[in-house]
Amino acid sequence: MGLGFCLAGTVFAPISYFIISSVPLAAIGISTIVIGFVCIALANTRPYVSPEACQLILKTGMENTSALLEELGIRNKAVYLPSTVSNGHQKALIPLVENKEIQIVKGKIPDRLIVRYGINPDDMAIAVTTPGSININMLETKPGPTSGEIEAAATYILMGVLDIATSVAVKLTDNRVDIDVSGSRLHYEDIWYYRCLGSPIASIVAAISSEALQKPIRISEESYNRGKSSIVLEVLS
Amino acid sequence: MRIHNKYIVSLVITSCVINALLVFFGQDNIEIYYTVNITTYLAVTLLYICPNPRAKIALNPVGTVLFAGFILTGVFKAMNILSVR
Repeated sequence: MGLGFCLAGTVFAPISYFIISSVPLAAIGISTIVIGFVCIALANTRPYVSPEACQLILKTGMENTSALLEELGIRNKAVYLPSTVSNGHQKALIPLVENKEIQIVKGKIPDRLIVRYGINPDDMAIAVTTPGSININMLETKPGPTSGEIEAAATYILMGVLDIATSVAVKLTDNRVDIDVSGSRLHYEDIWYYRCLGSPIASIVAAISSEALQKPIRISEESYNRGKSSIVLEVLS
Repeated sequence: MRIHNKYIVSLVITSCVINALLVFFGQDNIEIYYTVNITTYLAVTLLYICPNPRAKIALNPVGTVLFAGFILTGVFKAMNILSVR
């Protein structure tokens, strides 16, 4: 399409200017050439891997993690940790003990599946990589601990890079982050994986918030209503 | 609608409106049309400041070439004015 616009504009503009002697038509020809170049430039930015292949890989990872969680009978909500606590890689911890709440994470988390995060014998958790963990590396700079910077980072990832939302609004209070995502294309589903780790969008915003605030974050609430996802994050000390 | 599609639609609609307005006001200078259209393109591109990083890299040469043409137009105009004086 871009090539067609460029060719049409290249033929139309000189004919309009020199033969028909119409400046407005020549200007339309020039605009057509510009739009053609833009279409060609954007066409070359299509991803190398098809969306179907990406979905295949995403679902495979989710189902494997889901199978692991179901086998261990883990229902606790994950705690997203900043990358400084987990050897430079953003991770989420899911406590192994039922109804165990992670409030304090002592020291650095080792790069293993089952990790100890505290001094008590039952302070054991599964450390998993989430969609949020992978996407945090796409940020050019680390966001600061303000709602504006978290919103800018979430907007960049969700709208600019992934194009899975139309707007993001972030409200930050002392120990709570409220996020509203409009036009989200990956919704929350009541499945085991999402109950523990949150939907992909909640996972991404939790990872960004954790990295920005340099504190552990838990997804305490997630709902979807009339095209808008409302996510409430709890900031743990 | 995807962000890239929104960007192209915005560019097309803005170009059409700008060109229609210039025709309505009886503008007959091709340099004015070119300058206004380039400014429109740069403004719309700037408004969509969150595209895919690869899209940003792909659009940079387009913007550079068009801006260079804008500068050249200005230079020729200045030379015309100076030579008339």
